[in-house]
Amino acid sequence: MATGEALLAVERLTKHYGNVVALNDVSFTITDGITGILGENGAGKSTAIKILLGLLRPTSGTATVLGQDASRSIAVRSRVGYMPEHDCLPTHVSAAEFLTHMAEASGLPPAMARTRAADTLRHVGLFEERYRAIGGYSTGMKQRVKLGQALVHDPAFVFLDEPTAGLDPAGREEMLALIRKTHREFGISVLFSSHLMADIERTCDRIIVLQDGRLVQSGEVGHFTKETETVFIEVDSNREGLVAALRKRGVAVTIDRTGLTIEGPDESVYDHVRDALVEAQAPLRRMAPRRRALTELFERESETAYTTGAA
Amino acid sequence: MAEAIVHAESRSLPAASGTVFDIGYRPYTGRREGRGRSRMAIFKDGFRTALGFGRGARAKILPWLFIGVLTAIALVMAIVAGAAERLGGPGTAERANLPSHSDFYGIASIILFVFAAVVGPELLCPDRRNRVISLYLVRPLNGTDYIASRWTSFLVVMLAAAWLPQVILFLGLSMGDAIPIQYLRNHWLDVPRFLAAGAAMAAYATTLALLAASFTTRRAYASVFLVGLFVITAPFTIGLAQEIDGPAGQWISMFDLANIPVHVNDVIFNDVSEMTEHAPARELGARMLVIWYFIWTLVAATILWWRYRRLSP
Repeated sequence: MATGEALLAVERLTKHYGNVVALNDVSFTITDGITGILGENGAGKSTAIKILLGLLRPTSGTATVLGQDASRSIAVRSRVGYMPEHDCLPTHVSAAEFLTHMAEASGLPPAMARTRAADTLRHVGLFEERYRAIGGYSTGMKQRVKLGQALVHDPAFVFLDEPTAGLDPAGREEMLALIRKTHREFGISVLFSSHLMADIERTCDRIIVLQDGRLVQSGEVGHFTKETETVFIEVDSNREGLVAALRKRGVAVTIDRTGLTIEGPDESVYDHVRDALVEAQAPLRRMAPRRRALTELFERESETAYTTGAA
Repeated sequence: MAEAIVHAESRSLPAASGTVFDIGYRPYTGRREGRGRSRMAIFKDGFRTALGFGRGARAKILPWLFIGVLTAIALVMAIVAGAAERLGGPGTAERANLPSHSDFYGIASIILFVFAAVVGPELLCPDRRNRVISLYLVRPLNGTDYIASRWTSFLVVMLAAAWLPQVILFLGLSMGDAIPIQYLRNHWLDVPRFLAAGAAMAAYATTLALLAASFTTRRAYASVFLVGLFVITAPFTIGLAQEIDGPAGQWISMFDLANIPVHVNDVIFNDVSEMTEHAPARELGARMLVIWYFIWTLVAATILWWRYRRLSP
C-alpha cells in the first residue's frame, strides 16, 4: 500500500452498549506509520479497536480496514495483527510452538509458519528462549510473545492495545523500541492504544485522542508539540524591565519562578527579545527554545474544556 | 616437544574465519491459504491437545490410559473367544454367547464417556481461561469455524478410541477362528456395523463433552459434571423406571444418558447388549430410540454452536 493511502478508515462510527455510548460519531483515517490512540479508560479506544478487528459490529457508521468492511470481511484478518492488553497466552506450550500455530491459524502453510515463527522470535528477542514453556516467562517476555504472535504472519497493519501495561521501566523502553522497529524496520503500520501520553509521544507519528467516546484531537504528533513551542529566557537582573520592554513590543510573556516564557514564537520574536534585552539592560543568562510535552498540552486542553463546560 | 609441534602446526593453519550476516526482517511473500488453513490449524491443535502430542508426559497419561484400557478389553474379548474356539471346537464362542462386536460398546461405553469427559474439556476450557480465543477470533476464522474445528478434532480422537478396539477385536476373532477366511465371510457385516455404532457413540460423547466444557473455563468442573451426569443418571433412572411401570417408566429409562447411544448400537446390530437388556426404554421401539439419540446429539450440538457463534459479530 502506498504511503499516505488510508489503511484504516472510520466514518461516523457509533457504538452503543444499551444506554452507554462507547463511541459517538467518530471519524478518522489512519495511513502508513505509527498512530497512537490516546484516551482515558472508558474513552472508547478498545471499542474502536474491536470494531476495526471485526470483533464488534458498530451501531452505525462504517469501519474499513485495508479497503474492506471490518465487520464483514474475514479474509482481511489474515493481513492484520492484534496484541491485546490482557493475558492471552497458553502456559504449557513453548513460544516456538505457539507462534507456529498462530501463523498457521492466520493462513500460512505449516513449513512457512515454522520459519516465520523462528524469525519473529528472533526479532522480538526471544530466540534463545523459544523452546521454553510460556508459563515460565517473565512479564516482559510474555509481552514479547504477544507482540510476536501479532507479527508472525507478517501483517500489513498491527493493533497494539496497551503494549507497555505491567512492564517495568526497562521493559517499557524495550517494548517501545520494538514498536518503533516494527514500523521502521519491518514496514508494518501500527495503531498503538495507550493511556500513557509519554509512550505515545515517544513512539508515534500521529495521534488520535478520544474522550468519552468522541474524537477530540487528531493529527501529527510533531504538529501538536510544534504548536506548543516556547522560548525560555533567564536573566541575571532587571527581569521586570525586560518583561515591560517585551510587552511594549507586543510579545506575550508568562513569568514563572525561574524565568520568562514566550509562547508559540515566530522568527520575529527573537529580534524583539534582542531589542528588549538591550533596552532593559538585562544581562542574559540563558535563552533556549523548548517544546511542551503532549501531557502539558492535553492537561491544558482538558482544563479548558472543563472550564468551558462548567461555564 | 610434541606439544611444540602442535603449536607450530596450529600457527601455520589459516585462522578460521566467518561472517555473521544480519539478514534483517524478511517480509512474507508466500501463499496465504486463508480460512481453510486456519480451520485446519485449529483442528490439528485440538487433535494434538487431546492425545497429548507435543506436550509433557503428564498430558499423555490420561488419553493413552483410556485408549489402552479400551484396547485391552477388546484384546481380552478376542483372546477368550479364540481360546473357546480352540478348546471347544468351531462355533463354541457363538454357542456360549461370548461377548462380541455388538456387546463391545455396551461394555465399554462408560469408559468412552469418561474418556470424553476427561479429555474433551481440554480442547475448549484452556482457550477461554487463558483467553487465547481472543487471538483466534482476530484471525481469518469466526466462532463457528473455531468450534466446528475443535468438535471435528475431538470426534476424530473419539472415533479412533471407539474403532481401534473393534478393529483389534475383529482381527483377533478372525485369527482365533479355525478358518479365518470363513469367519471373514460370515461376519464381514460386523465391520460397517461397528463403524456406524462407533460413530454414533463418538458423536454423542464428543458433543456432550464439548457442550459441558463450553459452560466453564475449568476443565475439572466440566469433567466432574459429565462423569457425575453419566454415572448418576444410570442408577437414578433405572431405579425409578423399575418402580414406575408403563410408558412413564419407559420414558424415564430414556434419560439414562449412558444408554442412549447403546440403544442405537443395538438397533444397528439388531441385537441387545447387556447394558440395555433390562432397560424399559427398549419397549419404545427402534425408531423412537434413534430419534431420541438424534434429539440429544443435535440439540447439544446446536447449543454448543450457538454459544460460540455469539463470539462472532
